[in-house]
Amino acid sequence: MPRTPNPSSDASRLAVETRDLGRVYKTRNETVTALSSVDLKVREGELFGVLGPNGAGKTTLIKILVTLLLPSSGTAKVDGLDVVREFRQLRSRIAIVSGGENAGYGLLRVREQLWMFSQFYGIKSKVAYARIDELLERLGLASVANRQISGLSSGMRQKMNLVRGLMTDPRVLFLDEPTVALDVGAARDLREEVSRWMAEDPTRTVILTTHYMQEADDLCDRIAIVNRGRIVIEGTPQSLKLEVQRDVVVDLQLEPGVPVLDRLREVAGVGAASVREEDGLDRFSLLLADDAVLTNVISAVERSGRRVAGLAKREPTLEDAFVKLVGRSMTEEETQ
Amino acid sequence: MVLALARTWSGYRTAVRLGWLVSSNWTSPVPFVIYTIIRPISGALILVVMYNVITGGRGNTRNYLAFLVIGVSFWAFVTEGVSDFAVGILEDRGRFKMLKYAYLAPLRFPVFLVGRASSKLTSAVASVAIVLVVATVGLRLPINPLSVDYPLLAIACLLAFISVMAFSIALSVVLLAGRDAYGYGEIMAQVLYIVSGAIFPISVLPGPLAFFASLSPLVYWLELTRRSILHGRVYEMFPGLSDGEVLTRLALATAGTVLLGYLVYRWADRQARWKGYIDMDAAQ
Repeated sequence: MPRTPNPSSDASRLAVETRDLGRVYKTRNETVTALSSVDLKVREGELFGVLGPNGAGKTTLIKILVTLLLPSSGTAKVDGLDVVREFRQLRSRIAIVSGGENAGYGLLRVREQLWMFSQFYGIKSKVAYARIDELLERLGLASVANRQISGLSSGMRQKMNLVRGLMTDPRVLFLDEPTVALDVGAARDLREEVSRWMAEDPTRTVILTTHYMQEADDLCDRIAIVNRGRIVIEGTPQSLKLEVQRDVVVDLQLEPGVPVLDRLREVAGVGAASVREEDGLDRFSLLLADDAVLTNVISAVERSGRRVAGLAKREPTLEDAFVKLVGRSMTEEETQ
Repeated sequence: MVLALARTWSGYRTAVRLGWLVSSNWTSPVPFVIYTIIRPISGALILVVMYNVITGGRGNTRNYLAFLVIGVSFWAFVTEGVSDFAVGILEDRGRFKMLKYAYLAPLRFPVFLVGRASSKLTSAVASVAIVLVVATVGLRLPINPLSVDYPLLAIACLLAFISVMAFSIALSVVLLAGRDAYGYGEIMAQVLYIVSGAIFPISVLPGPLAFFASLSPLVYWLELTRRSILHGRVYEMFPGLSDGEVLTRLALATAGTVLLGYLVYRWADRQARWKGYIDMDAAQ
């Protein structure tokens, strides 16, 4: 279930605001637009998701907002401070936790490294140790507090990095794909801790980038879907799913055979179609204007010589909303 | 103000400690101590053997042997402060992936870098002492700890450390603004080795190179270390200059290096942020 925003937060105060934000990478051979005209407003106290396929521009956006990267155009403010001109003041108010990078000085011990980073934030040792021990306990890392970081699993390392992000008590926490490559249990622990941390203080804001639809659906108050450097749509998970509420959502499973995705997209009444392979079957997600379109879909399948292995109607998801808005699945976008 | 200074001091000390732990924790204490002793001695012995082969052991070149040994021993500060420091910072970025977190902390990034460089310079002290002791005992250099001009040595080393830090911090950020930066720190240390009067006087260099070398604070620092330890019994690069004059040149060259280092740092830091390389993955 999505988080319920805390009513005592100041909803009129913006934690993040970007105007016409853009970023272009130029190399000798090519010019790549990573972000283009991004206008974003995130209110204080929100858990805001930036959802999109790999290469969509999510990390570029986060890197600009945390002052690691300069924008090519436009402006961005975090907690009221300009990320280019006021980056020094801003850094004490933010923290970032990136996923999938196995970060840490392997030879140091968990508690030792965390304490060191607390010193870079000017936190008194006594206070720092109390916070570190509490967070380690909450994330189930108390037993490895004095273990060398090199001896931790990926999940434990990522939890340790979350402790590093939380212990400085940032006003805005940036989570960049925090659960990527984690097992189900570790990912769940991380999500639960983020939710608990948000609930403790209504003024805390989290910006979460992810390409896991379910994660965004479960955690976020609002979501921006990003694709090819642009924000495609923005809203609550429920409002995004309403985009496809009037459509009939069908899962169609076909046994292996000739490609039919393009043929299905050409059938009148098919709003969007995507496919993924799983367990030796091609699993199509189809958005149909109404039930009657299904007959034409089945006919198209039969004409192609493919055999139907399964068919089911279901409730729309964020993935369906993405496919409808972008025209392709996230996986297809990533391989472009 | 006082609170800010206290926080900066705390951050600096932590950066020193982090640097020390990262560079010393790679093995258990016994191999580390052996490595710490063997490394500088072997480096110095290679040059001493070369010296003996070239001079044929002639007694009238003892002043040059002293010149060579002191230059090589104190050069450990530059090796650690420039080459090893640059490698450490690049490893923070590419191997440990922690540099961006230090960069984004409220502690000013240059303070973090000064702390890391300080740990390198501190660890070089052992290396210098070991080579000087071995040289005194093994090569019978007339080094008497009671007759060393310690105030002159301390002032010279302090100014040199400031120069080395300014240079190495600027260099490390320049390297952070590049993709394939490994190895350049060592190259820079090697270039300095040739033009700083560590193993031969800068007067033997070709004219333009000798002029370029005369702008380096390292030349005057090494001259003063030799004078403070073995005044009159070591070859001098600037026999026409008094200790005070050499010290003045060292101070001016240090000021120039700090100013240049600051400007380069500002430029390179912006470049690194523009390119987004502060958190660049080594595999990218």
